[in-house]
Amino acid sequence: MRIKLMSIMVDDQDKALRFYTEVLGFKKKHDIPVGEYRWITVTSPEGPDDLELVLEPNANPAGKMFQEAMFSQGIPLAAFEVSDIGGEFARLTAKGVAFTRQPAQAGPVALAVFADTCGNLIQLYQPA
Amino acid sequence: MLLRHEGFRRLCQARDLLRELREPSPSIADLARQVQISPFHFIRQFEAVFGVTPHQFRIQTRLDAAKRLLAMGHHSVTDVCMEVGFSSLGSFSALFTRRMGEAPSAYRRRVRAMVQVPGILPADLTPGCLSLMGRLSPTALAGSVRSFREA
Repeated sequence: MRIKLMSIMVDDQDKALRFYTEVLGFKKKHDIPVGEYRWITVTSPEGPDDLELVLEPNANPAGKMFQEAMFSQGIPLAAFEVSDIGGEFARLTAKGVAFTRQPAQAGPVALAVFADTCGNLIQLYQPA
Repeated sequence: MLLRHEGFRRLCQARDLLRELREPSPSIADLARQVQISPFHFIRQFEAVFGVTPHQFRIQTRLDAAKRLLAMGHHSVTDVCMEVGFSSLGSFSALFTRRMGEAPSAYRRRVRAMVQVPGILPADLTPGCLSLMGRLSPTALAGSVRSFREA
């Protein structure tokens, strides 16, 4: 048993692919049409090529309700590790990304939180 | 852009208000006033957080609601158009066709044929993405399988 896929729900797959590649800098691995939707995965250029993040269409009303509730409560649904959180904050802010929490030390890590424009909050963390 | 707690909360509140389909719908400027953000900042901040302008968000919400109602099959296209807050059938049909690639009536016909249990939408219309995986062609993930074997 291996962990190879992780998924995040997005409200619009086109918008999500743009944001996760052009803004965050991930690489598109798969983009395959399946009915009305697409099987889209991205990988990190700084990570293993076979650990994929699936950009999952959030078409199910139950999923949408969950996603919106977590968002309104300020709760991130994914976390990405970075090695320079201040640098990422500056880089992403310059690209128009909205943060709800600027980088700050919290116990053993520095944390920041931003909106992914697809209905999620994402946490960045930098281990000490 | 850095949003403070209160600013973020107001944007979420605005999103909930934009979801309401009742007519007459408040203008974007009215909504901005209601959540106490200047219209200029409201549109800018909303787009940075949700990836679309408030107006686009409202249109998308209405189209999503229209798709659900059409799929249920109990309503005529005209009823659906009015129900989700469009006042002109012509502009609703044109917009729907542009976004969906088929007219509301064609969508209704096609999707209704997929509904097995009345009132329950088929999984194809509300997929979990990981279930989409099962509908890929056998060779679609060949790249992943190879890297998996090499690992």
